[in-house]
Amino acid sequence: MRALLSTFSWQELRHHPWRNAAAVVAVMLGVALAFSVHLINASALDEFSSAVRSVNGQPDLELRAAQGSFDETLYARVARDPRVALASPILEINTLATTPGRAAPLPIRVIGVDALALPAIAPALMPRPAEGAARFALFAPGQVFLNAAARTALGAATALELKEGATRHAVQVAGSVAAGGTALAVMDIGAAQDLFDRGGQLTRIDLRLAAGTDRGAFVQSLLRSPGWPAAVQVAEPGDAAQRVSNLSRAYRVNLTVLALVALFTGAFLVFSVLALSVAKRAQQFALLGVLGLTPKQRLRLVLVESLVLGGIGSVAGIALGTALAAFALRVLGGDLGGGYFAGAAPSLQWSTPAAMVYGALGVAAAMVGGWYPARAAQALPEAQTLKGLGAAPAGAGRHRVALALVLAGALLAAAPPVFGIPLAAYFSVGLLLVGGITGLPGLIALVYDRLAPRVAHRLLPLLAVERARRMRGTAAVAVSGVVASLSLAVALTVMVASFRDSVTRWLDVVLPADLYLRAASAGAAGDTGAFAPALVQAIAQVPGVARVGTVRARPVSLAPAQPPVMLLARSFDGEPAQALPLVGEALPVPAGQIGVYVSEAMVDLYGATPGTAFEPLARAFDPGHRFFVAGVWRDYVRQFGSVVLDARDFERLTGDRSVNDVSLWLAPGAAEAAVQSAVRALVAAQQRTGAGDAEGDAVEFASVGQLRATSLRIFDRSFAVTYWLQAVAIAIGLFGVAASFSAQVLARRKEFGLLAHLGFTQRQVLAVVAGEGAAWTLIGAVAGLALGLAVSVVLVKVVNPQSFHWTMDMLVPWGRLLALCAAVVAAGTLTAWLAGRAAAGRDAVMAVKEDW
Amino acid sequence: MAPPTIPGLSRRAVLLAALASPAAWALPPRTLAFPRDFGSHPDLRTEWWYITGHASAGTRTFGYQVTFFRSRVDETRGMRSGFAAKQLVFAHAAVTDLGGGRLLHDQRIARAGIGGAEADERNTRVVLRDWSLERRADGYHARIPAGDFTLALRFAPTQPVLLQGNAGLSRKGPEAAQASYYYSEPQLATTGQLVLRGQRFDVRGTAWLDHEWSEALLHPEAVGWDWIGMNLADGSALTAFHLRKKGGEALWAGGSFRSPDGVLRTFAPGEVTFEPLRVWRSPASQASYPVAWSVRTPAGRFTVQALLDDQELDSRGSTGAIYWEGLSDLLDAGGKPVGRGYLEMTGYAQPLRL
Repeated sequence: MRALLSTFSWQELRHHPWRNAAAVVAVMLGVALAFSVHLINASALDEFSSAVRSVNGQPDLELRAAQGSFDETLYARVARDPRVALASPILEINTLATTPGRAAPLPIRVIGVDALALPAIAPALMPRPAEGAARFALFAPGQVFLNAAARTALGAATALELKEGATRHAVQVAGSVAAGGTALAVMDIGAAQDLFDRGGQLTRIDLRLAAGTDRGAFVQSLLRSPGWPAAVQVAEPGDAAQRVSNLSRAYRVNLTVLALVALFTGAFLVFSVLALSVAKRAQQFALLGVLGLTPKQRLRLVLVESLVLGGIGSVAGIALGTALAAFALRVLGGDLGGGYFAGAAPSLQWSTPAAMVYGALGVAAAMVGGWYPARAAQALPEAQTLKGLGAAPAGAGRHRVALALVLAGALLAAAPPVFGIPLAAYFSVGLLLVGGITGLPGLIALVYDRLAPRVAHRLLPLLAVERARRMRGTAAVAVSGVVASLSLAVALTVMVASFRDSVTRWLDVVLPADLYLRAASAGAAGDTGAFAPALVQAIAQVPGVARVGTVRARPVSLAPAQPPVMLLARSFDGEPAQALPLVGEALPVPAGQIGVYVSEAMVDLYGATPGTAFEPLARAFDPGHRFFVAGVWRDYVRQFGSVVLDARDFERLTGDRSVNDVSLWLAPGAAEAAVQSAVRALVAAQQRTGAGDAEGDAVEFASVGQLRATSLRIFDRSFAVTYWLQAVAIAIGLFGVAASFSAQVLARRKEFGLLAHLGFTQRQVLAVVAGEGAAWTLIGAVAGLALGLAVSVVLVKVVNPQSFHWTMDMLVPWGRLLALCAAVVAAGTLTAWLAGRAAAGRDAVMAVKEDW
Repeated sequence: MAPPTIPGLSRRAVLLAALASPAAWALPPRTLAFPRDFGSHPDLRTEWWYITGHASAGTRTFGYQVTFFRSRVDETRGMRSGFAAKQLVFAHAAVTDLGGGRLLHDQRIARAGIGGAEADERNTRVVLRDWSLERRADGYHARIPAGDFTLALRFAPTQPVLLQGNAGLSRKGPEAAQASYYYSEPQLATTGQLVLRGQRFDVRGTAWLDHEWSEALLHPEAVGWDWIGMNLADGSALTAFHLRKKGGEALWAGGSFRSPDGVLRTFAPGEVTFEPLRVWRSPASQASYPVAWSVRTPAGRFTVQALLDDQELDSRGSTGAIYWEGLSDLLDAGGKPVGRGYLEMTGYAQPLRL
């Protein structure tokens, strides 16, 4: 076998380095993309969750409010429980920090802690007083300890101001904390309560249980104990890591699947390269067979060849993937621009097991691709082949297999997701592709059998069509790579176009006003809204403002293991149905209930069915209220759910009247710039009275046009990687066409020689070859388009709703798709012509005289 | 006198800062009133209740010490929050297992108030989460569920309260400001349970309680001290201490002897001398401790002998200091054992920066 490999196979490789390189490159790209996505995500997740761990520590249990804070008497109660070894009270406030020399305020988490309870639970939060810090800085009022991110951002400042709404509090920097992650400031729990006027309030209690305490029984007895506040949840700390992982899972799985697409194309390419090389070497194989090489050994030889191709591709792919990951982590950050791990600066986490898995995947793809050619080499009829009669027509019954595969794919598409990942749908995509390509010869027969009589009178098309028709097995092999890559390109194009169209229309509904106002650098959900109600009223009085709308965003945790849901309190002027991009009709709200409009994710994740009361929200506030799901709306921003309710209801529930965002409708003819400067002046005046000194630009304006442009730019950027993948896939597919044509033309030199003897000019011979190319790629394009549309239905209707919990309307960009198909056909024809010219350039007449 | 076991925990600087704060005024002499003075004195900066003793179950003998500290924080005085750390409470407990030749110890710290600790002002009742020391009608009750051991002991007084120094005002240095209010309860009859790594012992024995509170304590030249509190078999109680300067010479000394019939003799600074007899070098900290002493007092010359050499407490990781504190025998001038109690030695591993 070794001898055969180093002589027989090596000669083949040496004579056709480019063709084999195409197969290797395809495998390499697939492995590289999949592995780099894995590495990037693993690194980011590791970095992010270790930051979460260092801030949250390692308690046995956490008590946290579903939203806002809870009363500190709960602390006294659990701290005295004999089953509790240690209770650590936490008051966390998201706010902004400024220093005198700093232009933009820095979003910062302020964590009020009991330093005496921390060492056992969250040592990374333990304040470390600086040299020369005030005595008892650990407990003293107005002393903060900053982590590395905050120190970097704020410089060597010894004093800073923490803003909360319009109020500002001066604090001293007394030292540092070790905790990683985003900017945070630790201070004494009592000092934090005093500073932010949150007397008696806590946001979390971390518990370390006494040895031998049954955690489950303890949680149950807590929840059942009389007077337990329903809004306080008991969570296990694993839930935090779980939440982080959930955040990015759908995004990451989709990226990985996209990468596997390249690998899939690679498998087809290995198939087509090896199938052709086996066909071309049929006589040599037959000779070897006559000389004593058993059919089994021939099978093994071809499989080993595919193994070598796959192995080289995989090793190169792992190396390239590592390089890609390192580059992407440096340039794009750990979420590839997806926005899931803001603030994390991960370093590359190499993983040998993962490398083995992805490498094995590449080899397996190559082996799968090599299996059919290997079987062909095994089944070779030696005597016939030696006489040059071996090219058997495609076997019957294959179209039945194809039909079964396509059918199975269609059925799988209807299956529910597995662990929140549309695994079945991905399998369905795979089956559709394999089934479609298996059915190619049938399709060719179907089309060209009908086409053949029509071109029977014209010589050149007749030759091209007849060849494609009679040799449809070979034709199918040659274009399978094109079909695979084109169908994936079509599917992705349709999906992205549908998504973009839905987002564009969605933006029209969610951005009805002319101008949008929000506090500078404020996160989407601060603990207090940036604008007080008085300020909003003053803004409404500004000349040129027709009316104002407000949004108060506040995170609510409805289930311990899920990321928080965003609660959006909006001012509705008319019917909510007009202000929200609803899916279906809005239902009338029964009297005495609070109407809420949930995003599609809420239906999937929490079972918030329209027309029913939504229990989890009632638990988060006050079990006395009933929240009626009056409608479902599309939310393309908050993948983990959002709930919209009327601002007046929110105010009644929480007493919170501050708002995060203000939208302005301008009066006809009003100058936008004048309104902007008037509002800026108002806000500045408000802040002066609030804290006693001047303030720079504290608000950000965005016009509706800017917001739309920004949103779509972000959208396009995050899908850029898919365009790139499409291009790569199609290029690989065309490379496959070129490789197979040049091989075929070389193999058919005798045939061309015969044609030349019959009086064909070389031009005409080349026209026949190009015609064959056109005939083959045309059928490939048709098949690719059809398969791609089928796959895109699965992507739009199944994969997206299952991964991201949002639906979209299908939009098929026919113009773009036809252009894509035309480009593929043109490229295929040109490739065939070029290959034919290169191959037939040698003396074709001489080829006929070849005698052996 | 049972000086503090430096319960700074990793917040050592906190307590050191508290003790080092300049207290310009001398404590006025006053008549201690009980049960009020059994309780806490939050007006003064530092306070501790300190129980040492020995107890036996069958052939096994144990030494133990339980200490609760209270420390005032001035910086938080103006705060409104219920969590404001106006008083910190520390506790420390250790058990010497003579049979096993080992020492186990654990500590706690919390802020008073909602933070899980309290020190009652009416009677001895100090609580730090699940640790407590409380004075009831039948004596002191200590409940200390620690990591490797649990103490559940009752200490019944058999004698009146012993006022140290000048009717309870005890000088700790050459200057009048270096003083504390200080009383002791020797010869406490001890009963209860001691659980050592899951093994339970019903024990009986004798203990000693010190309660001391002050505004400031240490002279700047003092680097450490040696102290003994001994219950004699005949019912007498012997207290002796000296504060050392850097070279080892005494800066100040004191103590008392009360005979079984209740006659109390308080020692003047010049009347007490400590003389090392045998030195043990700790393999862990490389510090050398005199584990046998000759102590000369007006009540006689005694020899103090540690019952176990290695009773060093290395708490740099948590309490921030290294010191020696352990069960010791008291021998008279003729070498005959006459009593048993605790010896404490500080400032050997590193100068005590109080």
